[in-house]
Amino acid sequence: MIVFALVQLVPGDPIRLALGTRFDQETYDALLARSGLDQPLVQQYFSWAGRALTGDLGVSFRSGETVTSQIAERLPATLTLAVASILVALVIAIPLGTLSALRPRSVVDRVATVLSQIGISVPEFWMAIVLILVFAGTLGWLPSGGYVPLTDDPVGWLRRLVMPAVVTGVVSGSVITRFVRSSVLEALGADHVRTAQAKGLTSRQVFTWHVLRNALLPLVTITGVQLAYLLSGVVVVEIVFSWPGLGQLALQAVQARDYPVLQGAILLFAVVFLVINLVVDLLYTAIDPRIRR
Amino acid sequence: MAVKDDVAVVGVPMMNGSATVEGFVPARDATVVTRLLAPEVRRQYDAALGLPVGTMLVGRRSEDTTCLRVAHAFEELSGGFPRPAGPLTSRHVRGPHGGDPRTCPVAGCVTGRSRSGNDHRPDLRGTGDRARVGCRTQQPSPPEVPVRRTRLLPLAAAAALLLTACGGGGESVDTGGGGGGGGEGGTLVAAVAAQPDQFDPHVTTAYPSFQVLENVYDTLVVPSAEDLTFEPSLATEWETSEDALTWTFTLREDVTFHDGSEFDSADVVYSYNRIIDEELSNSFRFANVESVAADGPQTVVITLSQPTPNLLERIGSFKGMAILPENAAEDIDLTTEANGTGPFQLESSDSSSTVLTAFEDYWGGAPSVGGVEFRYITEPAAALTALQNGEVQWTDNVPPQQIESLEGDDSVELQTTPSVDYWYMSMNYARAPFDNRDVRRAISFAIDREAVAEAAWFGAAQANQTAIPEDSFFYHDYAPFQPDPDQARQLLQQAGVQTPLTMGLMVTDEFPETVTAAQVIASQLEPIGIDVEIETLDFATWLDRQGQGDYDAFYLGWLGNLDPAAYYQEQHQTGGPNNYQGYSNPQVDQLLQQGATETDDAARKAAYDQAAEIIVDDVSYLYLYNPDVVQAWAPGLSGYQIRADKAINFESVELP
Repeated sequence: MIVFALVQLVPGDPIRLALGTRFDQETYDALLARSGLDQPLVQQYFSWAGRALTGDLGVSFRSGETVTSQIAERLPATLTLAVASILVALVIAIPLGTLSALRPRSVVDRVATVLSQIGISVPEFWMAIVLILVFAGTLGWLPSGGYVPLTDDPVGWLRRLVMPAVVTGVVSGSVITRFVRSSVLEALGADHVRTAQAKGLTSRQVFTWHVLRNALLPLVTITGVQLAYLLSGVVVVEIVFSWPGLGQLALQAVQARDYPVLQGAILLFAVVFLVINLVVDLLYTAIDPRIRR
Repeated sequence: MAVKDDVAVVGVPMMNGSATVEGFVPARDATVVTRLLAPEVRRQYDAALGLPVGTMLVGRRSEDTTCLRVAHAFEELSGGFPRPAGPLTSRHVRGPHGGDPRTCPVAGCVTGRSRSGNDHRPDLRGTGDRARVGCRTQQPSPPEVPVRRTRLLPLAAAAALLLTACGGGGESVDTGGGGGGGGEGGTLVAAVAAQPDQFDPHVTTAYPSFQVLENVYDTLVVPSAEDLTFEPSLATEWETSEDALTWTFTLREDVTFHDGSEFDSADVVYSYNRIIDEELSNSFRFANVESVAADGPQTVVITLSQPTPNLLERIGSFKGMAILPENAAEDIDLTTEANGTGPFQLESSDSSSTVLTAFEDYWGGAPSVGGVEFRYITEPAAALTALQNGEVQWTDNVPPQQIESLEGDDSVELQTTPSVDYWYMSMNYARAPFDNRDVRRAISFAIDREAVAEAAWFGAAQANQTAIPEDSFFYHDYAPFQPDPDQARQLLQQAGVQTPLTMGLMVTDEFPETVTAAQVIASQLEPIGIDVEIETLDFATWLDRQGQGDYDAFYLGWLGNLDPAAYYQEQHQTGGPNNYQGYSNPQVDQLLQQGATETDDAARKAAYDQAAEIIVDDVSYLYLYNPDVVQAWAPGLSGYQIRADKAINFESVELP
């Protein structure tokens, strides 16, 4: 309901936009009636919500395709990029964060802190363009962008995935590194670790069973948040790498005031957040027995 | 002997002093318990305490009192804490802080929690010798666990391997996804800036759609590539009646649609009536049309309500006036499918690219390439890189700031030509002081159009004080405003305007170059006392505010104009559909009306020239520049012609 109202409240008229700058009242009225936007807002909401419950999210003003088919077409690309980015992020973040927590204020720690600061602050589009210019331009190792389904061309799929996944992965990874570092540090200082050490476990056992497992909780939380963010589309990276994901779709829908697509996309993002939060909660219980009951 | 309740003992519920884990029953013994229960340890205790071997029992209470009682019992029995000797070695008691294995935690009581610590055991506080009561408390220790770095190296190495595997790939240049040459004349891959919104030529208004549709559909007449005058396409010839109200078109024979059906006059009648009857976005182009009728299969008659010298432009300027087969809207889903008469057929389209294949039965002869893939690359730098490394062979998405440097670059063929687009600024006649002609003229005198064009397009634009570009037949050389701040100030004074005057200038990020150029305009107006507030809006909001008249001034362009009527009529006629600024001049109205119906080209041009001069003098529009069309392709690509109307036609293109 809020989504519906907000989307409609944004200034800008999709019909005017569809007509471009050239304006003609009769054409305008005809299009308005066809889109159903001349109905009262409340009526529009209930007919939309009713149809949404049955899985019918309506038809795009812009393309005339159903919203569900548009979303379904872009979902694989978004999923691919999100999962790959999270993998890159974790591969960067866990070793780096742990190392710097184990040796606080050491050279490793300082380097990791600086790197993650850079990762957070460097604009994604800049990093993306630099990567394109270097790896697609100068070196010519990778294609400059685009997407092919895994099933069509696995090698091409992987080669196109590398650069966008690295850019988003570095950004997410930088954020996660900091969380890993602070949660490992905290876990190291916890009493049960002292106990574990006291009762004579090897440092490896202490680390795997008592430190890492406890440090995992905040890590799972932040990874969940990052994944949800990645799934709702990384607009800038998608645009620079011509990656046909949901972020691009949502952006186009905003620009064209394509209400059905925008509402469908926002609904999907909301569901994604809910599902990921649920999964995160379930993971908590798997990791931490205290929460199980 | 007892262990505290935060030390796991199989089968004994534990609480750890917290309600959250109440009822937790460990499934594993704590290490210390395992050790305590080890037979050899028990034997040692029995021996140390002088008891018969096997007397030791395992207790299951966790109260402090029990603990203490046991401890005191130790004291009484043994007179001190036993120091086990013998087989306990470091092999048994390991750990970073285990210290001397002989002082190992073999004790009557092991505390596990220091936070609750001994606070609830006042009897233990300050005793000074905890060992004496048999309780080993934790030593204060640094929270550092000495995991050696080597433990993490395999992980880092794995990460490095993974990245190498992704980066390696093997071959050096990607040609997957249909790029490159080879096979049936090869596929041309063209990088375009955006995805087509849909493929119904009568409905869409989006340029990315027309880039594709240009190659799929035909119109009765088309603008020629050389001078944009109209030449035959699906119509081979046409004639106009004496009164100029009836146009008779003779249609081309032996034309087939992509589905194999024959093209005839019924298709033309259907297509035009679809636009008119359904009031589709181009129906304004038929404003003067009374009827469209077939006269036999090869003849179409268009009857007009008033002479319309620009009828050819109305029906042929772009593929929005495409001829569909009769009942196409019922037979196929025109938003996703196409059935035209053009050189290419629509094969497929998804969110990464649109693919066309050559139509072998095209009336103009089959195209020489086997197909065209339009790949969407929004970021100009990425599109250019893709062109340079051979992923694509053509693009119109060239970063304007790189135009100059690319001109001497051998890896790319770059061409520019002045376009039929024009960009302008317009002020709101309904808002004082912009209703004052002197104020508008002052602003026109203050602006240096060359500098604005340079800022917007890095030199790839021609400054112009009227709308129509120099190459057009209808170009009129009229440039009364040379940058002159003194005269501008004088005009403002004459108008009685208090300076500094604030003027909102509405631009849209849909056209980012206008945002940059607006800053130049602002800096040029500042010296004459006009403080420009640039409002950068998204296009939807921009259009909304333009429609509501909620602005002081705006900056936008008109694209794809071919006829002077398109350049001037709707924008400057009193009450014209696109006369947002609210300009009204009876003399201009009369000249525009004269131009719209005059069938003699020279007389027509004279009428429009005169109208243009008044429009420029009154500053209905403050014309700025005509940008160039900029396109780039792979060296060796031939048969492609860059066009001023930005139509992109790959019919005769040949791959290198």
